[in-house]
Amino acid sequence: MSDVEAGRSGAPPLVVMEHITKRFPGVVANDDVSLELREREVHALVGENGAGKSTLMRVLYGMYSPDGGRILVRGQEVKSSSPRVAISLGIGMVHQHFVLVDPFTVTENVILGDENERVLDMDAAHERVGELAQKYGFVVNPRAVVEDLSVGEEQRVEILKVLYRGVDVLIMDEPTAVLTPAEAKELFANLRQLREAGKSIVFISHKLDEVLEIADRITVLRRGKVVGETTPARTSKAQLAEMMVGRPVLFRLEKPDVEIGETVLQLDELHGEGKLNGLSLEVHSGEILGVAGVEGNGQRELAEAVIGLRRPSGGRVVLNGTDITGEHVQAIRNLGVGYIPEDRHEQGLVLNMTLWENAVLGQHDDEPYSSRWGVLSLRTIKELASRLVQLFDVRARSIDVTAGTLSGGNQQKLILARELETDPKLLVASQPTRGLDVGAIEFVWRQILEQKAAGRAVLLISAELDEIYALSDRIVTVYEGRITGEYPPDAPPEEVGRGMLGDVAAEVT
Amino acid sequence: MATVAAPVEKVRPPWVSNLGGQLFSVLLAFVVALFIGALIIIGYGENPLTVYGTLVRFAFKDVDSFGYVLQIATPLIFSALAIAVCFKGGLFNIGVEGQYLVGMLTASWAALTFDFLPGPLLMWTALLFAMLGGMIWAAIPAVLKVKTGAHEVVTTIMLNGIAVNLLGWALNGPLKYRQEGGQVAARTANFKDNALVPDLGHLFGMRESVHLSWLLPLGFVAAAIVWFVIRRMRLGYEARAVGSTPGSARAGGISVGAVQIKLFMLSGALAGLIGMQQLLADKGYLPVNFVSQLGFTGIAVAFLGQNNPVGIVAASVVWGVLSRGESALQLETDVPREFVIILQGILILSVMVIYQITRRRLARRQLQAAAVVEQVPEAA
Amino acid sequence: MPFEDIAVAVQIAFTYYTVIYLTGIGGLFSERSGIVNIGLEGLMVVGTVTGSFGTYYFSTKLGLGVPMGPILGLLFGMACGALFALVHALATITFRVDQIVSGVVINLVAIGLARFLSTLFFGQATQSDPGQPHLTPWDIPGLSSLPWGLGRAFSGLSPVVPVAFLVVIPVTFVLYRTRWGLRLRSAGENPEATRSLGVRVAPLRYVGVLLSGAFAGLSGAFLSVEVVYNWREGQTLGLGFIALAALILSNWNPKRLMWAAFLFGFAQAIPLRLADAPLIREIPDNFIRMTPYVVTIVVLAGFVGRVRPPAAAGRAYESAGGV
Repeated sequence: MSDVEAGRSGAPPLVVMEHITKRFPGVVANDDVSLELREREVHALVGENGAGKSTLMRVLYGMYSPDGGRILVRGQEVKSSSPRVAISLGIGMVHQHFVLVDPFTVTENVILGDENERVLDMDAAHERVGELAQKYGFVVNPRAVVEDLSVGEEQRVEILKVLYRGVDVLIMDEPTAVLTPAEAKELFANLRQLREAGKSIVFISHKLDEVLEIADRITVLRRGKVVGETTPARTSKAQLAEMMVGRPVLFRLEKPDVEIGETVLQLDELHGEGKLNGLSLEVHSGEILGVAGVEGNGQRELAEAVIGLRRPSGGRVVLNGTDITGEHVQAIRNLGVGYIPEDRHEQGLVLNMTLWENAVLGQHDDEPYSSRWGVLSLRTIKELASRLVQLFDVRARSIDVTAGTLSGGNQQKLILARELETDPKLLVASQPTRGLDVGAIEFVWRQILEQKAAGRAVLLISAELDEIYALSDRIVTVYEGRITGEYPPDAPPEEVGRGMLGDVAAEVT
Repeated sequence: MATVAAPVEKVRPPWVSNLGGQLFSVLLAFVVALFIGALIIIGYGENPLTVYGTLVRFAFKDVDSFGYVLQIATPLIFSALAIAVCFKGGLFNIGVEGQYLVGMLTASWAALTFDFLPGPLLMWTALLFAMLGGMIWAAIPAVLKVKTGAHEVVTTIMLNGIAVNLLGWALNGPLKYRQEGGQVAARTANFKDNALVPDLGHLFGMRESVHLSWLLPLGFVAAAIVWFVIRRMRLGYEARAVGSTPGSARAGGISVGAVQIKLFMLSGALAGLIGMQQLLADKGYLPVNFVSQLGFTGIAVAFLGQNNPVGIVAASVVWGVLSRGESALQLETDVPREFVIILQGILILSVMVIYQITRRRLARRQLQAAAVVEQVPEAA
Repeated sequence: MPFEDIAVAVQIAFTYYTVIYLTGIGGLFSERSGIVNIGLEGLMVVGTVTGSFGTYYFSTKLGLGVPMGPILGLLFGMACGALFALVHALATITFRVDQIVSGVVINLVAIGLARFLSTLFFGQATQSDPGQPHLTPWDIPGLSSLPWGLGRAFSGLSPVVPVAFLVVIPVTFVLYRTRWGLRLRSAGENPEATRSLGVRVAPLRYVGVLLSGAFAGLSGAFLSVEVVYNWREGQTLGLGFIALAALILSNWNPKRLMWAAFLFGFAQAIPLRLADAPLIREIPDNFIRMTPYVVTIVVLAGFVGRVRPPAAAGRAYESAGGV
């Protein structure tokens, strides 16, 4: 802490953002936000999804020009905004989604835009990049082609790109979201080394444990506004969480008391595309099974194999005693499976079609919505849509607007309404509250619990442990396409955490 | 759940505002194109108003003239519909060109081979084979796309090249016209009269050289069918879902590949009919210097008509008016007739540009509107 | 002497090679920058009529004679091709019109534009007066005196032909050894990466598309000035589409494009010179002429090898948010 205290009284802040306001059509992403960044510090920017963290940093990096406020770097006001200006001022950003040119080598990616000479000397460039990597202890081969690299290595390339430009300020947007725990650990080591080398780092995250581990100072954003600034020593996880959401988090929902019945879904040794490696599990009626795990460990493939979007290369999917492995989505839906996809824009809705057209998707070829001759009955479809919109309180001007005009929460409500309309025996819910605000999360959770109350089976897949704990009757952990442990709903989180990291735990029942 | 729905205010359905937007952008594009065209006309020392007046007046000066306009419009209706059908499903069928050439080939073959068929049966057979030919040629890129992922734009471009050569081969080989006396010509023999599509123009007192045929009403019927399929049928619904978000469509139980193949088939059938005006109404045989490029022109017409069946019929007539005006320019002004093609090109580019701009505007406005609704306080 | 026939066929193939390769390189620059250009045929058409006019104007009207006239004519065709490609660039880059639609429009308009210009230049719509001045055909020293008539392949070639062979050197150098080439390729693969490093995407793509017009224009001008000796409507014969096919077969690589262009060029030459050769006699000309298209479809379908177009080609790029 002595560092921080020294910074406070000593040198002026490296970067000052004063009263920054940034509006997008219909949204105020940053509302009079001020922030200071000092030398040699890791400054965490925390907040829920949509709190305005990334927007603020994009303003700093010059990708967005603010609608109000000003930015001072080393006491000098920044006039124009563009990444180029930001970089020349020593500010660099590592994006959450990597922006790399896949067929290029590491070196080509690193030097792009800052090549020094008109005619390239690639050998010299490889050497420069190699030296740079070595200086900060990064393990990466400059001659490797990016498309052959692992996610962790790609992230290192992204960081190298920024360091190559000689920046002092490194903005990292949700850097651990895509990493395995081991990779995250290595990243933290790298970040500490960078701080020792005199760099300042802005660390955007909503994972509080990480923030408490790595940050020197923490700024909390909520709904585009700063709600507080603190240090790890002066705060706790619970306190941070409360600042983030504005009310005590983890609203405890009453789990309905329902008899757990027969097996509805049974997965036997599922294999596929290297993502599923002998995954087996069972879900019973009246039961919510929570599948916990770090993202990218086969969860997506698991959900898609159940609903029929992906044909497993081995193993069986059994629904109510019927083998449905490799069946068509339509057939599986007709057997009573509802699906809430993790990406509602890619697999849930057709954004430029109307609400009523979206409301019938999946049932559109059933009576009474379409006739035997393939003619749609617009009247019954619109009746359905009006009913669903009312029932699930989807806020929209009319059912004739396109789904793309809805907020995330309302889009998710529409999907839920649609998927639950058919009274499915099994609901597959994949990251059902991703990107939603607190109110919408509560709504979704209640709906899922209601499914349980109605005696249906729910396969809940989530990367958020809070969610898993709030809803599940039973928890399993998934790691590299395998189930690594099974836990009761009151198991200590540390134990579940171990399972998520691949330690095969003894089955606790 | 005891919630009360947010007050649902009455709004215009999106197709109304869409239609408004589309009409607006087309009209604006016309203004822009006519303006740029006017600059060229002034370059020739003519008065733009007189020239444009001549263009339009010529198309409507008598019933024959308008007959010619409709004669030009007929194949374009089929062509643009063929493009639009695929476009709704997110597919770009550049191969309409090749598909109609093959349609002419199969129709010619049928008309010459089944010449024993009585009465209109021969004509219907020829039309059927035209559609079949187009469908076969459309099936290739469709199946390749679904099975191997080969992009339809490139495969259809290649198939166009093959189609041209296929026709060249047929006209110099199997379908070559061998007249009595040993004379040969690179064209097919004349079809029997009952293979031809009956004339419609005489009902309106048009001259015999105007080949306005029953293919025009057939084009209207085709437009109506396309409209019905796209807006009212399951296939159209699935096509639009596949065209905009294939992942969501698939998760909704739609077989993306099957939909794509069906669309290509429908498109190919329509494409097959493009050449029939030339084959069964204008000529009565397949000449070696057959009119090509109609498949490409259809793309321009489809976008001018905003890929909407009614719009396409209107756009085809507009295109016909302009094309018909070529002769007028030749006869009555100093502006060369090719000015019309340039004007058409500018027109279609302006439509595309303005459509892009207005669409982005519209999307932004919709987002704002949505945000306002979001702020309605929670009703409890 | 069959050797001599083959040699002459090769000589004709060199001509076709030149047309296909130059146009293909044009397409390569455009697509590597991220803009699909199926308007190559149309750009060539503009090159044919303007090249022919330029040659007439500079050699006859201005009296510069040969070789200055035809050289300036070729360059004029090149410049006009680039100018016409500006339409495609404006539409697709600035206004983000669909690249395929714009390409189609380019092709459609080119036909009308060529006639329009022809009436302006030559007072007739579909051709210029035949027998225009051209560069003196050239025998390649050494190769042109190969025995058994094989030398014929290397005799009487337009000086543009060797240019079309040598141009691969600067093109490869620019694409793979210079800063600009690196940036251009990145714009075609991942423009977001390009932009995020402070390099503007639009100027790169503009240059890519203008180069496609320049090369296609040169190729068209070569056809009218150096091959046919006058302008005639339709003389591009769909070679722009064959160049597109060659580009795909080459996997967007300038060296491999040489092979593809020669292969397809030879396919065009066979019916002209080897139609009476055994075996070939049995195959109708049209079937030989369609081989490039068939080969390309087979390759595209993944039956042979695998092609990988620039990842961002065909996608409009919008820089995010503000600025």
